[in-house]
Amino acid sequence: MERIVHGMSVNETLANLRQATGYYVTNTARDLSQSDYKNRILLHTDLLAAKPREAAGFFSLEITGGASIHVDILRKQVDPFLKLELLRERMPKTLFQTLCRGINLFGYRPYPQNVIRLVVREFAKYVDVWRVFDFLNHVPNMVAVFEEVQKSGKILEPAVCFSTGPEHTNEFYVKKVGEILAVTGEQIILCVKNHGGLGTPKRIGDLVDAIKQKYPEIVIHYHGHNTDGNDVGRIVAAVQAGAKIVDASDHAFSGYYGPPSILTVVNTLSEYGHQAVGLDEAAVVETSEVLRGERQHYEFFESQFKGNDPTVQIHKLPGGAAGSSFEQASKGGFLDKMPAILHQELPKVQKELGNFWSVTPGSQILWTTAVSNVQGGDRYGNPSGDLKNLLLGKYGPFPFYQPEEWIYEKVFGADWREIIEKEGGMEAIEDMDIDHERRELAKKIGAEPTDQQLVSYLQHPNDAVAFFKFEEKFGKSYVLPPSVLFRRGAFRLGEVIKFRDHAGKEHVIEIGPQQTDEDGTTHVYLNVDHHQRVFEFEPEATAGNGGGAAAAPKLSKQEIEDLAKAGDLRAPFGANVCEISVAVGQEVKVGDRLVILEAMKMQTPITSPMDGKVQQITAKVGAAVRPGDELVKVTPAD
Amino acid sequence: MKKKIMVANRGEIALRIIRAIQELGHISVAIYETPDNEAQHIRTADEALWLGDGPRCDYLNIDKVIAAARKAGVDAIHPGYGFLAENPDFAKACEDNGIIFIGPPSEVIQALGDKVTARRIMQEAGIPLVPGTPSLAAGEEGVRQAVEFCKQHGYPVMLKATAGGGGRGIRRIDDEKQLRAEIPVARAEARAAFNNDAVFLEKLVLTPKHIEVQIMADKDGNTVHLGSRDCSIQRRNQKLVEIAPSLIKDQALVDKICETAVKAAKASNYFNAGTVEFLVDKDLNYYFMEINTRVQVEHTVTEMVTGIDIVRTQIKLALGKPLAFCQEDIQVRGYAIEVRINAEDPQNNFMPEGGKTVSVYRSPGGYGVRLDGFVYQGYTIPEVYDSLLVKLTVHGFSWNETVDRLRRCLNNFVITGPKTTIPFYLRVIDDPDFKKGEFNTSFLDTHPHLLDYEDEETEGNKLARLIAEIHYRKQNPYAV
Repeated sequence: MERIVHGMSVNETLANLRQATGYYVTNTARDLSQSDYKNRILLHTDLLAAKPREAAGFFSLEITGGASIHVDILRKQVDPFLKLELLRERMPKTLFQTLCRGINLFGYRPYPQNVIRLVVREFAKYVDVWRVFDFLNHVPNMVAVFEEVQKSGKILEPAVCFSTGPEHTNEFYVKKVGEILAVTGEQIILCVKNHGGLGTPKRIGDLVDAIKQKYPEIVIHYHGHNTDGNDVGRIVAAVQAGAKIVDASDHAFSGYYGPPSILTVVNTLSEYGHQAVGLDEAAVVETSEVLRGERQHYEFFESQFKGNDPTVQIHKLPGGAAGSSFEQASKGGFLDKMPAILHQELPKVQKELGNFWSVTPGSQILWTTAVSNVQGGDRYGNPSGDLKNLLLGKYGPFPFYQPEEWIYEKVFGADWREIIEKEGGMEAIEDMDIDHERRELAKKIGAEPTDQQLVSYLQHPNDAVAFFKFEEKFGKSYVLPPSVLFRRGAFRLGEVIKFRDHAGKEHVIEIGPQQTDEDGTTHVYLNVDHHQRVFEFEPEATAGNGGGAAAAPKLSKQEIEDLAKAGDLRAPFGANVCEISVAVGQEVKVGDRLVILEAMKMQTPITSPMDGKVQQITAKVGAAVRPGDELVKVTPAD
Repeated sequence: MKKKIMVANRGEIALRIIRAIQELGHISVAIYETPDNEAQHIRTADEALWLGDGPRCDYLNIDKVIAAARKAGVDAIHPGYGFLAENPDFAKACEDNGIIFIGPPSEVIQALGDKVTARRIMQEAGIPLVPGTPSLAAGEEGVRQAVEFCKQHGYPVMLKATAGGGGRGIRRIDDEKQLRAEIPVARAEARAAFNNDAVFLEKLVLTPKHIEVQIMADKDGNTVHLGSRDCSIQRRNQKLVEIAPSLIKDQALVDKICETAVKAAKASNYFNAGTVEFLVDKDLNYYFMEINTRVQVEHTVTEMVTGIDIVRTQIKLALGKPLAFCQEDIQVRGYAIEVRINAEDPQNNFMPEGGKTVSVYRSPGGYGVRLDGFVYQGYTIPEVYDSLLVKLTVHGFSWNETVDRLRRCLNNFVITGPKTTIPFYLRVIDDPDFKKGEFNTSFLDTHPHLLDYEDEETEGNKLARLIAEIHYRKQNPYAV
């Protein structure tokens, strides 16, 4: 039995998996971060864990994909490609795995074909295993990604999303597997994707068995979540039925909504006579020893409701959606309505909308609709654009049945049939002019972008540009630990922060005093590498993505000149008014002196741009004016 | 015998003079207006007198300054540069009150301060001059004279205040329309600044080098020069970078200019320290421009290369001592460069940054480095005075060594709070033309790219900025 390592061919990898008498473990660090920590586990923490994780001998480390790529640039300010590069330096053997939403890539809406192919090609340079799914299990939605992964020589792992209910039979899923194999061929891993942790161990065992009965050679990777606390049971059943790879996570960070702890899975299966191939249990323990001290810094991002949630079998929300639903309810002030939403409305909406799989972006549509139905009172009376697109079939066909007509009528109005007739169905999304986008990006960042920057930009244009600008201003901040980046409250006076920057240079920063002027400007003193530095913060300025009202924009030089030409004379620079040479109503000729300004002992006359009449005088002799302040207005002679 | 000497000035030059007074064992007396009540010169002087609330009027008020001098019982007054330094009425008031004025006699200031008289004296002495007019007549007649002169000599011309100096009250005129518009403004400005609205015209020598010569003369008329300076790098006639000696390669020419300076000083019966300014055109013709009858901002570069303390010498000469050295004793060794570090934003038209507080002030040191400043960490720059914070002067054996030293010092100079001219100077001294010594007064106009710089931040400082923001906002606003 052999450990599978980075650099093996797809055929060699699959041969090893098929021949293995035991099973393999995937460390789902990304899914754990997304489910229990709102995707905030930092690269800094993953780098700390890199060495023991590499030694642990996993089949793969799931470390990118899902919502993490967006969160990397939006909230963690780390380049998703750089992250993989740095991890690869420290983890030369371990396969890296991603989760890709097919046509929706790593986002929430369908992308054009040429964008999908470019994004996959760039990421395939770093990612060995590609788990690909579609929330409607609509295989055509995944084909572009399948093709690019296979062309890149990487391991393709198409998923069938799993759920429960009368339609979710073994026959349905086995047929779905057949549809996939017809497109991909035999040399794949098949993922049974149980993102909600639904069903019982028996149900999962039966399903894996049914697939194996039909396709004995197929390598099955079981993925589940521990929301109800019983995923270890489902994993055991899956392996007993023939699954060759299972998902689990480091116990130092395991929570309630992500995959269960690796060691628990391994120890349990061991009793049943199944051995984890290539796994070094001591290294798994060591990883958690390294990570344990870091968890406290992520406390803010953990679910505010602790404990497993067996009612997931009713509301079916996947992984982290359960945790974040409570956060939304808390922020939105409808926490009291959560039992009604989760246990009554959401299951009802699921049934009404076709009982498809509650996973991104479908889970968001279901959740939003259920909340809106309860909050608004009028069910389906306030439909989101995404719900409309779902009903129009823009995401793909409903897998089992169409929603009833009254829902269409409620969402689209009386002439809903016409609308569906005209606008319904999937349409090919037009290719993007990628060269044009590249030029646009170059303009925005003032430099020729790299292919990787372009890929980030094509997926998340505004957030990518904000990230590039952040890096320009603040440098590569992944070097800072969560104790700094996720600090709550100010640092202590005299607190020392040491770090090594991206280029490898050591820095030491000591927190100094802070003072606020009478005008509200705060000066923060830091000792940076033994040099005192001061950083100023204006009271009205708001930084980050929190947004807020910015100060009124100052007039540019050009604007001041343009106004002057129109007779609205503004101060072109900060000065004192030392003379007003005209009176209101006075007739003036082009070049006549209106006002004299004085700055730094130099007098500058402001002259009339036209023949006309002085309409208004705002300037006062002796007063200080700032650039753009009104001085005099002249109206043209007829 | 111990004398009491008042410094009728503020800022760095007040400190400079106080230091010389104290080194000579005399008692220094400072004066100040209210906005300067936290200024260094008050703290350093042995005594300080408050003149009034100012701003910029009490330092210029002869009666108040003389009254303060009498109250303090001073023997002498050093006027520094600017304010009353070249006001003959002030020198006269000192003389009338039996106070020694450290500078030339009032009639010499009067004669040389009046540009037209000065030109006449120099013309009689055979000193080469740029074509120009006498003071223009008042009103329309003056405008007519001006137009006539320009027709004869062509544009551009310079419109100057007869009583002006130090680059103030000078404007370039390119056509008749502008000429007519500017004459009244120039007169008003001259009246406000110098209490004299006389103006005159001079032919503009295009792209000249600004070369000046430091002279010293004692009461017996012994006159020497302390070599040349190049002050060509200017912005709107305000000097920014000053160098000693001149980088003109033709040493015979430089010697000739220096000798001419001595001749000009003698022709005007000069006494004490002064500066004779020349323009040198691209064909190496030189023209007398003016004599500044005071210590110059840039006197430091001459001190560095000659080893002579000009301010100390000024005081001794004023107290009646003869020159302690003759021309042969004076040797120029190596090069010195002075940059005026101003609280200005070079990228915003050198807009003054007055009103801001110096939150960090870390100055460079080491061999061949001299600082003449007066600001300190925590000092708020008054908006009502000029924007000079500190003069950085470096001395080196060769030109290249001097430039290297200046670069090192500018790189090590940390001033935060106001924006300063430091990043701009860093660009200037790395310019190939500057390094070769090939520059004239058009340097800034022909090298606009020198203003096109970005504040480069090290990775450590960038991340420190993020930490500061997290600290200030009590959580990371980019990670919410």
